[in-house]
Amino acid sequence: MINFILNGEQVSSNSNQNERLLDVLRDEFRLTGAKCGCKEGECGACSVILDGKLVNSCMVAMGSIEDSTVTTIEGYSKTRRFQILSEAYAAVSAVQCGFCIPGMMLASECILAENPNPSEEDIRRGISGNLCRCTGYNAIVEAVGTAAKEGKGLW
Amino acid sequence: MVKSYFAKSLEEALEIRGRESVIPYAGGTDLMIEADDQASYLFLNKVPELKEIKADAEYIRIGAASTYAEILQSQLIPQILKDAVIEIAAPAIRNLGTAGGNICNGSAKGDSVLIFFAADAKLRLVTSKGERILPIKDFYLGRKKLALQKDELLVEILLKKTGLDHYYYKKIGARNALAISRVSFAGLLDMKDGKIINCATAFGAVSDVVIRRPDIDEMLAGKTTDEAKTVKDAYLEAFDEAIVPIRGRVSAEYRKSVCMNLLRDFLESNGI
Repeated sequence: MINFILNGEQVSSNSNQNERLLDVLRDEFRLTGAKCGCKEGECGACSVILDGKLVNSCMVAMGSIEDSTVTTIEGYSKTRRFQILSEAYAAVSAVQCGFCIPGMMLASECILAENPNPSEEDIRRGISGNLCRCTGYNAIVEAVGTAAKEGKGLW
Repeated sequence: MVKSYFAKSLEEALEIRGRESVIPYAGGTDLMIEADDQASYLFLNKVPELKEIKADAEYIRIGAASTYAEILQSQLIPQILKDAVIEIAAPAIRNLGTAGGNICNGSAKGDSVLIFFAADAKLRLVTSKGERILPIKDFYLGRKKLALQKDELLVEILLKKTGLDHYYYKKIGARNALAISRVSFAGLLDMKDGKIINCATAFGAVSDVVIRRPDIDEMLAGKTTDEAKTVKDAYLEAFDEAIVPIRGRVSAEYRKSVCMNLLRDFLESNGI
């Protein structure tokens, strides 16, 4: 039995310790926001926040997260910060196909959590592990910058 | 039955390591690429003793399970190591991957490994019965072959506190983020009273093990930069012979010429 906190709730998983966090989130907890892209830590589609830090959930074995805190896009989407970010993404049309966007949002959150006033370079570095398959990054970079201004004091 | 273990202290980890056949798991980023549901892992990512970064009179001591992100944040870590670590993968991987994992993965492409070779780092290897300190050069026996005993854990990486400030570092990869090194090079030149007291070079991603040849670098020791120029050709020639690249994603010829260009640039940027 592996105990951890998932989106603010204490949960237990019966999964094997060697299973990927990504698979357990999707199959056992039915949280399908984290997407399975590459299973090699290259694409960022499976990003979640683990103990306050952005990680690729495909690279995390369940046995390593005992007593950890995991936030997925489903949990994050209930926050005020998400709302500000979401509005900023919409305002600059940083629209994506839906595969990379959950990871992009969580990466954006971690950029702002670490530095509420990120430079363009900071933002680009922060999303460098989240690959977009559809359009590009410029609108996303702008959206994070907008959220930093609109959400002043929240981060 | 396959069983993995989660350790909360070093003592507990060493006890399990001594008793069971387990694969030490620190950040997991290398292991999970070929995730094996039959493997017995020993999870070390929350062992406090393995996550400390501290300094004593002689060394900066990096806990083997310190993540790249933690290394970047620490004020004790020399800039040469930070320069290499900031170019590893992307933030989400740097939040998981560890220095000890990079070393124990046994690859000559490890970006932090290169710096540890150039700096002649030492490794503290511990069992429940005792410990030994081994120069990193002696830890690598070949590609994916390490001098790590079945009951041992890499606990700390020891970096000398001095002689790391004047450095040269270049990583050649296919792109800026998430790139595996095609060739990497680190050079240290420590001068005192106008003389070279230590020159150390290391070439990564070229051969089965990082190439570090103190016997050749020794040619420059004790010399002023002007005196070093007189042996420059012989020095370059010796490395030209010593570097025998293997073919990988890029050709051996490409690797060789990049190595020699970087070595020459290292010398010339130091007036040699």
